[in-house]
Amino acid sequence: MSEGRLAVNRLRERLPVDDAVLDRFVARHGAPIIEGERATFLFRGEADEVRVRHRVVGLPDPLSMKRLPDTDLWAVTTVLPNGSRVEYQLETRYGDRYETFNDPLNPRVAHSPMGSSSVCAATGYEVPDWVHHDPEARPGELVEDTFRSKALRREQPVKLYLPARYNPSLRYPLLVVHDGDDYLNYAAMKTVLDNLIHRLDVAPLIAAFVPPRDRLREYPNHAPHARFIARELLPTLAERLPLVDDPEARCLMGSSFGGIASLSTAVRYPGVFGSLFLQSASLVFTDIGTDHGGGPAFDPVVKFVNRYRAKPTAPVERLFMSCGTYEPLITPNRSMVPVFRGAGMTVKYVEARDGHNWEDWRDRLRDGLSWLFPGPQKFVYE
Amino acid sequence: MRTVLLGPQRFMTTAGTALRSLGVDGPVATINAGWEEREDVVDELDTVLGGDTRHLRLYHRSLDVITKDEAFGSAALAFRDRHDALLSLYRLRLQNAMDGVYAVQRRTREGEGRVRGEATAHAALDDSIEVVRHIDQWYAAQLKGLYADLEGAAPIDSSGVIGWHRGELADLLGQSAAVVLTGGHVGTLLRTLRLFAITIPDDVPVIAWSAGAMALTERVVLFHDHGPEGNTEAEVFDRGLGRVQGIVALPHARRRLRLDDRDRCAVMARRFTDQHCVLLDDGTALELTADGGLPRGARILGIDGAVHELGTNGRGGVS
Repeated sequence: MSEGRLAVNRLRERLPVDDAVLDRFVARHGAPIIEGERATFLFRGEADEVRVRHRVVGLPDPLSMKRLPDTDLWAVTTVLPNGSRVEYQLETRYGDRYETFNDPLNPRVAHSPMGSSSVCAATGYEVPDWVHHDPEARPGELVEDTFRSKALRREQPVKLYLPARYNPSLRYPLLVVHDGDDYLNYAAMKTVLDNLIHRLDVAPLIAAFVPPRDRLREYPNHAPHARFIARELLPTLAERLPLVDDPEARCLMGSSFGGIASLSTAVRYPGVFGSLFLQSASLVFTDIGTDHGGGPAFDPVVKFVNRYRAKPTAPVERLFMSCGTYEPLITPNRSMVPVFRGAGMTVKYVEARDGHNWEDWRDRLRDGLSWLFPGPQKFVYE
Repeated sequence: MRTVLLGPQRFMTTAGTALRSLGVDGPVATINAGWEEREDVVDELDTVLGGDTRHLRLYHRSLDVITKDEAFGSAALAFRDRHDALLSLYRLRLQNAMDGVYAVQRRTREGEGRVRGEATAHAALDDSIEVVRHIDQWYAAQLKGLYADLEGAAPIDSSGVIGWHRGELADLLGQSAAVVLTGGHVGTLLRTLRLFAITIPDDVPVIAWSAGAMALTERVVLFHDHGPEGNTEAEVFDRGLGRVQGIVALPHARRRLRLDDRDRCAVMARRFTDQHCVLLDDGTALELTADGGLPRGARILGIDGAVHELGTNGRGGVS
């Protein structure tokens, strides 16, 4: 009986086999092969070494593949709990030459500003249906605008999202999104907003998608950036658009360094915003010394987070946090939840078996947005 | 006074049958403001109701008022902001109070069977629910104050536009042999009913479902246990027309409430213990009795958290 035994092990028992058998094996199973809570990665070709690069905390990275004797098929099996989603690439070595590339046997890829990666989705993971275009959802509108910023000393482009059925005689809450273009391009955020508003999960809102210019400088607790958001962008938007004039109706959002930009802006301007939406925020800190392991880019982050931890404040009332359990930032994020709560903020924190990537952040949008801006579902009884 | 409360009509259409059972002879006034911008898409509704309909178009009339009466428009906007702020505070207080109720309820359960402290635990549960009722009453009183302020800022009776619409609506209602209230956005429905001071004479039969059924009651309670933002507690929203008394209408109960969580349902029934929490699911058709009571067979939430059917004596019996 083959049940309960991994497909690749069953293949091993049949060795030696010819190429046609291997072709059929790969065609039948695809790659990676998901069997219960196990994933088997495959590669076919000549190399001295083949490895899986995945950046999952808790698993060896890279994962070395083994060649099946007398074949060009390489494989490695690892544990992959239900609901997991992992982005990875393969790395080959020929002598001293290394190559890294997406898994040629796996058509599923995810995109990011850094390029694309292959996606390994475990049993139980499904792409939420609300991230796809829904022909029944009336689309909102994206308006490109430019703001002259004295603080940043430049023209700052901003994309404004106006919800479907936008009506200037009504008033809307405001969501300011750091890494705005990336959220639109890699987290399908316009489609997500259209769908969630259509489904009554999220209240109709106006979103300002703000891209950075020099992200590593502007996002980790940068005074000019905070001044631009709080003292320039916000008042200008309030003049031009029908916004609810209440901190509770203003939210700052960002992922990774964008999370730090959101938090540090709120800390510099307490009471201006009512809520924060932090996704895998780079909340790196040290308890003693300065060796944080994140490299020079993290120096201002650690300085800011250490200072915040020494004297926590509640710059907003509500805070939604999400983090992937497979990313290195999981420990700092978990550690900060009680700190934020202790400072007096209402915190909702969710985790997912995913990593530090845009599709993880996309998949958590409904949780966060519907908590921060609950839609009128409770009012509608058809 | 003849009133029929129906379950949702999307999958099981019973409104036509209910209308025929009332023997209505004459045009039917429809109030479907809850459909908002889809208010004029009425082909299907006309077919179900037999075609002789007078659509009151309250939603579109309310837009006309806001456009033409600037003073009222800005006062209404200010009212909405203040109402949102009030709701936010109410929800904050409510959630904390409900957390307290559930915590005490858990303790009460744990204490069951033990002699010491059992009575005190039950008294604590009663009192914690009383705290919730107090918050509900506080909210209702604050809302009443907001309405008074709105009336002071923009007296509705002095608005020519509103007066014109009210006159036309009174004519339409006067010609109607029955009134139908559909589902939709219950907030919009209530707002427009209030704006145009809609009153339905006792001798005019009414059929209502979903949000329409809620709007007929004295106190409209919003609920949705399966919202994406997690369990949010049922909340008192506003006063309804008050034609139906002693009832909290719960449309789509099976879809929207965690009926298998008896502790949670028990708290809801006890919170609104002076009224029947009536389940209005697909296929439900309840014609109220001559004195406005619920008919036999109506499904209600009991204070034990179970769903009961009302017996002949109007009391709950296990279904």
